[in-house]
Amino acid sequence: MDSLNIPATGRTPGVAFDFAAGHLRLTGESYPDDVAAFFGPVFTALRAWLAEPGDDPITFDMELLYFNSSSAKALMNLFQMLEAAAKAGRPVTINWCHEENDESMRELGEDFSEDLRHVAFSLRNVPAGGIE
Amino acid sequence: MLAQQYAAIKRDLDGKGIVFSFSGYLSEGILYSLGEALREKMTLEDTDAPTVRRVFSVFVEQMQNIIRYSAEKVTGATTRAVELSAGMVTIGMERGKVFIVCGNTVLNADVPRLRDRLDHLRSLDRDGIKTYYREQLREEPEDGSRGATIGLIEIARRASEPIDYDFDPMDDERSFFCLKVRI
Repeated sequence: MDSLNIPATGRTPGVAFDFAAGHLRLTGESYPDDVAAFFGPVFTALRAWLAEPGDDPITFDMELLYFNSSSAKALMNLFQMLEAAAKAGRPVTINWCHEENDESMRELGEDFSEDLRHVAFSLRNVPAGGIE
Repeated sequence: MLAQQYAAIKRDLDGKGIVFSFSGYLSEGILYSLGEALREKMTLEDTDAPTVRRVFSVFVEQMQNIIRYSAEKVTGATTRAVELSAGMVTIGMERGKVFIVCGNTVLNADVPRLRDRLDHLRSLDRDGIKTYYREQLREEPEDGSRGATIGLIEIARRASEPIDYDFDPMDDERSFFCLKVRI
């Protein structure tokens, strides 16, 4: 399946889903004026790819610097899709990156990881300014 | 007269420590521009990046609450869907802390539900707010809510003191709602 690449804008995140490599990445900031319109195609692409047969490992790098509460719901949906894939036996790793002094983002990582049972979740401390 | 009247408004705002103020029709475009100005101002004043993000986060949730729930709005489509919602947003400094006050018209019928949510949030301590956030993150949004509950929890989480709110009845149908958050 083709990669999904959406360049970041001031308020929508950069999406780099390299499906062939099993490497998914979200960067930048997320507070779209229409969350459903932005994330709809992202959900569709991920769902379609996860429905294809395959058991290669998946790595998801969550490198957002900021997301609003409606994006939080969208992110949770993505994680639940990955959790389902992991439950079905596919090795899935989520790396939640936060800047070392960003306590809020680290706490959010804990909130999001709370009921992931099958995904390997790790909090990654990055030096301040280390996330583009 | 003209300058005198407006100077009086400005003095009043300055006296309250207000640095940014906007009253009128708010839109996602205004949220974006005002948000950028707010971040630039804080960054120029050497505010550390996580504090800037915390203030920005409260600002975005408050603005989106007005845009989505103001009882006074104009919607339609020009080249794209437009949602203009009347309200006020002021950002200022008080005792070394940033505060954001937002105000908008709400329907009296919606007041009890909003009051319940805010009172519930005010009754929770930090851990309680965190648990409530985790629950709501996994909930489907209520009908017609467009995610208001999680937005308010996000605001309470970033606040350094319990959130303040008030309603001022306007007529049989509407009240003016105000929310003050100190970060």
